[in-house]
Amino acid sequence: MVISWLRRLPPTLIIGMMILAFYLTVAITARYWAPYTHNKIGVGIPFSKPSNDHYFGTDQLGRDVFSRVVLGADDVLILAISSTLVATVIGGLVGLLSGLVGGWFDQLLMRAFDALIGIPFLVLALLIIAAAGSELSGDTRLLIMVVAVVYAPRTARIARAVAIDLVTRDFVTVARARGESVFSIVWRELTPNAIGALLVEFGVRAGYAPIFIGSLSFLGFGVRPPTPEWGLMIAENRAAIFVVPMVVFAPAGALAGLVIGLNLFTDGLARWIGRSQGAASG
Amino acid sequence: MNPLLEVENLTVDFWNQNRWVNVVSHVSFKVMPGEAMGLVGESGCGKTTTAYTLLGYRRPNSRIDKNAEVCFDGQNILKLPGSALRRIRGKRIALVPQNPTTTLSPGMRVGRQINEVLAAHGVSGGERQERVLDLLAHVRLPDPLKTAQKYPHQLSGGQQQRVIIAMALACRPDLLVLDEPTTGLDVTTQAQILELLMHLRQEQGMAMVYVTHDLSVVATICDRVGVMYAGELVEEAPTGELFRNPRHPYTRGLIASVPSVRVPRQRRRILLRGYLQRDQLPPGCRFAPRCLFAHESCFSDKQNLVTAAENHQVACWRWSEVPQLATEIVEELPQPEIVSAPKGAPLLQVDDLNCAYEYHRASLFANPVAKLVVRDVSFDIRPSETFALVGESGSGKSTIARTIAGLLRPPSGKVTFDDQAIAGKVGARTQDLRRDIQLVLQNPDASLNPRQPVLQIIGRPLEIFFHLRGKELRNRVEQLLDDVRLDKTYVRRYPGELSGGERQRVAIARALAANPKLMLCDEILSALDVSVQASILELLRALQAERQIAYLFISHDLAVVRSLAHRVGVLYLGELCEYGQVEEVYSPPFHPYTHMLLSAVPEVNTESRLVPTVRSDAAEGTGSRKTACPFANRCPWKVGKICEDVPPPLQQVSETHALHCHIPLEELRQRETWSKSTLQTAKS
Repeated sequence: MVISWLRRLPPTLIIGMMILAFYLTVAITARYWAPYTHNKIGVGIPFSKPSNDHYFGTDQLGRDVFSRVVLGADDVLILAISSTLVATVIGGLVGLLSGLVGGWFDQLLMRAFDALIGIPFLVLALLIIAAAGSELSGDTRLLIMVVAVVYAPRTARIARAVAIDLVTRDFVTVARARGESVFSIVWRELTPNAIGALLVEFGVRAGYAPIFIGSLSFLGFGVRPPTPEWGLMIAENRAAIFVVPMVVFAPAGALAGLVIGLNLFTDGLARWIGRSQGAASG
Repeated sequence: MNPLLEVENLTVDFWNQNRWVNVVSHVSFKVMPGEAMGLVGESGCGKTTTAYTLLGYRRPNSRIDKNAEVCFDGQNILKLPGSALRRIRGKRIALVPQNPTTTLSPGMRVGRQINEVLAAHGVSGGERQERVLDLLAHVRLPDPLKTAQKYPHQLSGGQQQRVIIAMALACRPDLLVLDEPTTGLDVTTQAQILELLMHLRQEQGMAMVYVTHDLSVVATICDRVGVMYAGELVEEAPTGELFRNPRHPYTRGLIASVPSVRVPRQRRRILLRGYLQRDQLPPGCRFAPRCLFAHESCFSDKQNLVTAAENHQVACWRWSEVPQLATEIVEELPQPEIVSAPKGAPLLQVDDLNCAYEYHRASLFANPVAKLVVRDVSFDIRPSETFALVGESGSGKSTIARTIAGLLRPPSGKVTFDDQAIAGKVGARTQDLRRDIQLVLQNPDASLNPRQPVLQIIGRPLEIFFHLRGKELRNRVEQLLDDVRLDKTYVRRYPGELSGGERQRVAIARALAANPKLMLCDEILSALDVSVQASILELLRALQAERQIAYLFISHDLAVVRSLAHRVGVLYLGELCEYGQVEEVYSPPFHPYTHMLLSAVPEVNTESRLVPTVRSDAAEGTGSRKTACPFANRCPWKVGKICEDVPPPLQQVSETHALHCHIPLEELRQRETWSKSTLQTAKS
């Protein structure tokens, strides 16, 4: 039964799910089987090559890179998913509301979002981190907020485009004639119809979020050492890229694998939702 | 004479959700050169699939049975290779599809689109331009040279359909396949297109296969009719014979379901039960589950076409008994009740209402001026009365309903409900008022949220207006479903799992949930099959009797209006040109516009071929109106300059009936020809 159901899913969705399941398992169980802790220094000679003791070699402080990569998975996953979730919920609701209300409210909001989108990703993020002050630097909550502020306007645009199409439908007209409040219309009438598009948007953004957080960490504005964040690890070890390539490639590969998995998963999800919608209406 | 087209054993299946679904089953018919054959049936009966197969078109994911043959002029179309097929398509067999707006390429001038057809069939360049203009003139488009340079969106729906007909006629085909060519057009435009088709057929002697759900159109234009049900041909006969002596119970039901514009309010004799459910077809007669006369054996025995009379074939073993059985059933039904308009104080009163969507400013600081869509309309509706607004598209009917519903703020005019002047916008109205006025819209596919189950759709007004929750709410929803004759189990379903008629019932139930005093029904029947229409009409009548609801019934279908309304207002370009009790409006003297509308309606029961007195389609009169009488430019009885300069006076015919026209009532009475044209009008 389960098998036949799985068979009907798009292959990209299944492969994506398998990759994500792998990452999730690692994130949850790594603490029980990782050979060393993430901050134990001098377990080997600094920058030693991969060996049976240290699968991915050791970094500049002689920490075990393999342990750091697997132990970092949970942080990366939590950061990426929670920040994107905040961005999607806020951006989605604001976008739907903007599309429904229309008029000058919509224009004002959208132009403000255009201005935010106009600022490059990293510049905007650095501006916010700078404004937050140094005592908050490296705080997880600040990072989540930064990603949310950067992503929310983009999600809002997508949600608004969906809403603009939906508000001309008669069921919204009927709800208006019934005297429903705008929030009630957004929640009851628009959200269930926009959820497919928003879900896909969530997946695509969640795939980029680790790269984004990684870049921030690389620049020194993300999570603080000695947290085993993959982007931070790439930054710390980049000097050794020609000596022990593995200490840079291991976290980079982990990051790339996660992004590919998330993208395959959401791409498949989009197809699957589209298909089931088509079946329902046809 | 050899038949031009011979369809033999046509069986088509579609691949749907991992299995083959039969769509057309063993259909056989012949079309003689120059003959017009009609294929009718409800939506989903396979008529369109059959029509497209005649051009050798096969939908992806479909299969045609090996033994099927579609012989056109001696060649089996189904076996022809692509290149040979392309030589025939467009040249010898041409297609006129349903929706003119989506058929024409929006970014190409219409002249070039016709030119393409000619080029594809090897007409030389110099000759082509001439032919295009010739064709445009042939389908009676004004100023062919200019029209050829226009883009599709610059033409009205009727004009677009003419361009498509011109394209189809480009190579003088022997066979024209038409798929619902007039569905979606105004009745006046439809009359013109039908008249054009009849004229062209006479002139060019081509054969036609005309696919439609509209029996009255078939009665008008076809020589022979095939009735299809669930992919099978159930009856086939010459048009006159079929409408005089329908043999199959389905045909009888279909014909009885069509309301007549010539007969006053009446109860339908036999209604078709239920609707076509493809997943629940018995192995025997596919119509058996809906048949009033079905025997046990009907469900198991396959019915084949047998000859009932000369040229008349029917697939029902009880065909000889059916007329007898039918009269027995008629006697069981209660006699039609002719209800006169209720008296009493008006529930809703509309005085000098103006409506507008857009406002324009002459300059930045000038006061905005409304671009009026509806001007100075006044009428009233009494409790448990049905007031109908009729008119072509663009006449402002829906705008009035939207304004009363509070979706549009009127620039001026007064709307009084229950002796209280009501606020323009819905947000400013009281909760009670919002509950008392409910809106039901045309297309149930769009008016129900596809992501909400029926429980939530119907439950929402109960939550807002009566604060019902949980079990109480559910019980009330089930009760409402029962009121609209739907099963209780439907609470869990989503709109996608319901048929069109069921969806409209859910939409009506949602309006009823508020327990309204007035229901605004905006074209609520026009997206539905005739048999479903008839049953929803019955439902509306019953609800009115049970709950004393008043309806504002908006429709372009004059026959439906006659069978339901107490009073009627005729709207043209946003102005009421005639209003009165329903029988007064449907009898002389007529406003010239009312007369034009009535004359354009095709009829099932006549053997006449209509000769419409329609001068131009609706869109030509719209736009910037400069004449005092809005109808002046289209009026066949225009008096003269006075119509353009002086607003027509209101002439009171009786206490309740009045119309705006310069022509004296006596003369209007003499001029009318509609009520005099009876069943004996000469066959052309």
